[in-house]
Amino acid sequence: MTGITFEGVSKRFGKVSAVEGLDLEIRQGEFVSILGPSGCGKTTLLRMLAVLQQPSEGRIWIDGSIVNDVPPSKRNIAMVFQTYALYPHMTVAGNIEYPLKKRRVGKAERAARVQKAATLLQLEDLLHRKPRELSGGQQQRVALGRALVRDPAAFLLDEPLSNLDAKLRAHMRAELIRLHRRLGCTMVYVTHDQLEAMTMSERIAVMRDGKLQQFASPQDIYERPVNDFVAGFIGTPAMNLIAGRLSGTAGDRVFESGPWALPIGELALMDESASGDAERRVRIGIRPEDIMLDDTGDAARVAVVEPAGHEVIVVFDYHGNDIVARMGADVRLRPDDVVKLKLRVDRLHLFAVSDGGRLNDDVAGGRNS
Amino acid sequence: MTKTGQGIAVRKSLSLDARYAIVGAILIAPTVLILSTVIVYPLVSAIYLSVFSIYTPTMEGEFVGLANYTRLLGSGEFWRSLLNNMIWTAGTLSLQIVFGILVALLLHRKLIFRALARSLVLFPYFLSTVVAVLVWRWMLNDLYGVLNHMLMWARIIDMPVDWLGSMPNAMISLIFIGAWKYFPFVVIAVLARLQSIPDELYEAATIDGAGPFARFTDVTLPQLKDVLIVIVLLRTIWDFKEFDLIYLLTGGGPIIATQTLPLMVYKEAFALNQMGGASAVAVLMMLIMLVFMTLYLRKSGD
Amino acid sequence: MQTGHSIWRRILFNVFAWTVVLLISFPLLWMILTSLKPQSELFLIPPTILPSEITFEHYQRLLTETPFLTYLRNSLWLAAGTTAVVIVVAALGAHSLVRFSYPGRERLARLVLFTYLLPSVVLIIPLYLFMIRVGLVNTLASLIIAYTTFALPYALWLLRSFMAAIPVDLEAAALVDGASRMRAFIDVILPQALPGIISTALFTSILAWNEYLYALVLVNSDEVRPLTTGVMSILITSFNIEWSLLMAASVMMSVPLIVIFVFLQRFLTSGFGAGAVKG
Repeated sequence: MTGITFEGVSKRFGKVSAVEGLDLEIRQGEFVSILGPSGCGKTTLLRMLAVLQQPSEGRIWIDGSIVNDVPPSKRNIAMVFQTYALYPHMTVAGNIEYPLKKRRVGKAERAARVQKAATLLQLEDLLHRKPRELSGGQQQRVALGRALVRDPAAFLLDEPLSNLDAKLRAHMRAELIRLHRRLGCTMVYVTHDQLEAMTMSERIAVMRDGKLQQFASPQDIYERPVNDFVAGFIGTPAMNLIAGRLSGTAGDRVFESGPWALPIGELALMDESASGDAERRVRIGIRPEDIMLDDTGDAARVAVVEPAGHEVIVVFDYHGNDIVARMGADVRLRPDDVVKLKLRVDRLHLFAVSDGGRLNDDVAGGRNS
Repeated sequence: MTKTGQGIAVRKSLSLDARYAIVGAILIAPTVLILSTVIVYPLVSAIYLSVFSIYTPTMEGEFVGLANYTRLLGSGEFWRSLLNNMIWTAGTLSLQIVFGILVALLLHRKLIFRALARSLVLFPYFLSTVVAVLVWRWMLNDLYGVLNHMLMWARIIDMPVDWLGSMPNAMISLIFIGAWKYFPFVVIAVLARLQSIPDELYEAATIDGAGPFARFTDVTLPQLKDVLIVIVLLRTIWDFKEFDLIYLLTGGGPIIATQTLPLMVYKEAFALNQMGGASAVAVLMMLIMLVFMTLYLRKSGD
Repeated sequence: MQTGHSIWRRILFNVFAWTVVLLISFPLLWMILTSLKPQSELFLIPPTILPSEITFEHYQRLLTETPFLTYLRNSLWLAAGTTAVVIVVAALGAHSLVRFSYPGRERLARLVLFTYLLPSVVLIIPLYLFMIRVGLVNTLASLIIAYTTFALPYALWLLRSFMAAIPVDLEAAALVDGASRMRAFIDVILPQALPGIISTALFTSILAWNEYLYALVLVNSDEVRPLTTGVMSILITSFNIEWSLLMAASVMMSVPLIVIFVFLQRFLTSGFGAGAVKG
C-alpha cells in the first residue's frame, strides 16, 4: 500500500471536534487538494500528516506504515507553510540545506542538491541572501526549495499562495503544476480558494466542519456535487439554489416554488421510491452558465448587470427569486429590462432540504469516489 | 487490512504526545527544583522555625509553641514596625506612581536627546542600593551635605537639618529616596503603554472639545488603567518587603522610628539572636501580604 | 503647524523636561563631582559645586589602600557565574513553558511569579541554614546559588515573553525538516531569541552586581565579599567616614552600569518593558 491513507481519523481539542471520522486514500504521486472554508479542519488534517498534531482517534498510513507516533523527523514528509517559516538567521542556501544536514547528508552531496533545487526554482542568484531581503514570491520559492531538496514521500502545502498578489499567484500555480509533473511526487495541497483547487488537483477533498463532504475529481465535483454545500462552494459565481417542493411521480415530476412550476420530468432521482412529505422539500440548483435567454422561457426582470469583459454577469428577478446568470459579452441588458429566460433542466441539480444531500442521478456518468 | 505498521506501533510504547510531554517536563525540571528551594523550603522552614525558640549562633533551641507569636503580637515593637511599614509603603508608592506617570508623560513627547534623557531617568533603578545610599547620605549630611547648603543658600532654612537622624525627617527622607530609586519602574511600564495608545483617540477627544487635562483624564488614564493595576500591585509588594534601602539609610532609626517588618526580622535573627522569633515575624509578614493580595486581586477583578 | 508660538512652546518644554531629568540625575552627577575633588575641597562650608581641580587621588587610594580590587574580582565572578547559570536554566525552562504541554504547566507559570512576592528576609534564613548544612557558608558558590534563586523567576518571565513572540511555524518547520525537539531549540529558537537572551543576561548581571542582603548574611570575610558589602564595610570600619573614597568607590561600582547604558540602552528598556508589564 503506497500513498497516504487516513483511517477513521478524528481530532478533538477539548470539546471541539476539528476533524471527525475521516477516511481518505490518496494515491502515490497524486496531486490532491483539501478544500474548504476556514475552520473546516483542513489545516488540522495537514498538521496531523506532518505530525505536528496527533489524531485523537484513528490511524494514518504513509507508504504502508502507520505513522501516528513517529516523530516528524522520521516521517519522510516535507511541508511548505503558509507563512513560509524560513529560518531568518540563515541564508537561502542555509535554509535549503538544513533538512539535509538533519539527515546527515555529506557536505559535497548537500551542496550539489542545494544547487539543483536552486536551479530548478531560479534561486541561484539569491543563495547568499537572507530571507528578509527577499520578496514574497522569492521566499515562497525558497520554502519550496527547502521542501523538495529532500526527495520526500509527500509534499504538504498549507495555503502557500495566499500571501501573494493575484498575478504572482497565477504564475506560481502554473509553476507548481509543472513541478508536480516533473517530480511525480504526492502533493497534498490545502486551500480555501476553489479556483486553485480546481485548476491544480487531480482530486479534491471538500471539507466542512471537520467532515469530508466529497472526494472526487474537479470535474465530478463540479458536475455532480454530493450536497448543496459542495454545490454552492464550487464555482464562481456560485450555483443558484432555490427552495421549493416536488410534486408528481417518477417521470412526471414538477418543482414548485410559490406560483412557479417547473416540469422536471426528465430528471431521474437516485431513490425513486421516495415519496414522503419530507422528501418532497427540495432545493434545485442551477449554475449561472446553464441559464439562457430564450423566447420560449419565462419572464425575468434584470436587477443588476456586471460586465466582466469577456462575459456579463446578470442578476435576474425570476419568479420572485434572485438568480445569477452568465451571459455572453455581446448581450446588452439594462436594469429593469424584462427578458425571457430558460433553465437547462438537464443540467439541474436537486438537493433535499433536510440534509442537503443530492437527490438526482445524472446520466453523464462520473462516479463519486 | 493487514497491519504492516504494527511493528513500529508496538516498539514505541509511548505516544508521541507523551514523549514530548516528558521532554518538556525535563526542561523545566531545574527551574522547578530551584524554585521549590526558594518557595516551598523557606515557607515550610519559616513556619516550622517560628514555633521554636532558637539561638542563632548555635541553631539550637526548644519547642515553644505559639510563645513567639504571643510575645510579638503583645509587643509594641511589632505593631510599630507594621505601622512604619504601611506608612513607608503608602508614601513611597504614591510618589512613585505620581512621578512615574508625570515623567513618562514628559518622556513621551518629542524631546531633544530623548534617548539620553531616558537613560538618565532609568539610572536610579538600576543603581546598586549601596551606591544610592552612599550618595544620598553624603548629600544629606548635616554638616557637609549639598542639600542643606542649597536650602540655606536659598534661605528656605537657616540651620542645617538632620535628615536621617530625627523624626519625622527620617521617614520623609526615606519615602523620597525610595521614590527616587524606584519610580523609573513605573516610568518604563507607563511609557510602553503610552506608546501604544493610538493618536486618533486624542484627535477625536480634541474635536469633541476636550482640553489637555480632560484628554489626560478621559483618554490617557483609562488606557493606563490595566497597566497601573499590575504596577501598583507589584510595587506595593516590593516596597512592603524592602530591606536594603531602609537598613542602609537609617538602620530602622532613630531607635525604631523607621523600623519596618523586614528590618525587624533581621534584627530578631542576627542582633537578638532569636531565629525563632524572626521566623514568627516573617510568617506574620507574609500573612499580611497574602491578605492584601487577595483583597486587591478580588477588587481589581483579576 | 510650526508657528512662532509653537517654537517657543517647544523650547520651554525642552527646558522644563531637561530640568526634571537633571534634577533626577543630580545625585549621580554629585557623586562623580565629589570623587574628583581634592580632599581639602571636600569639607568646605559652604561646599563648592564644581571641583577647583580634578584629581584622581581618591581612586588611587581606593585601589591601593583598600581591598577594593578583591571585592571587584568577586563581584565580577558573581555576576558572570550567576548570569551563566540563570540563562541556561531559564532558557530551557522558558522553552518548556512556551512550546510544550504537560499537566501542571499553567500552575507552574503562576508559581514562578509568586516567588517574587516572598520577602528576601524570609528566604535568607533557610538559605543560610542550607549553606551551613552543606558547608558552603562564606564561599562565592553559595552566593551564586543564592543569587540564582532570586534572579531566575524574572529571567524566566522575560525569556518566556520573548520566546512566545517567535512564530510557531519556525519550530514546526525545523521538526518537519528532521530536527529533534532539542535540535530545533538550538538551531532555530535560540538564534531567534538572542536579543531577548542578551536583555535577560544584562538584567541578571545587574541584579547580581547590585545585590546586598544575601551577601551580607552569607559571606563575612573580605576575601569573598563582593563590592556591595565590601564597600559598606569600608564605611563601617573607619572612625571618620572617608566620603571621598566612598564616592570614588560608588562611581567605580556604577561603571559597568554606565557602560551598559551607553551602548545597550535599547536592549535594557525593551526587555524590561516587555517583561514588566506582561501581567
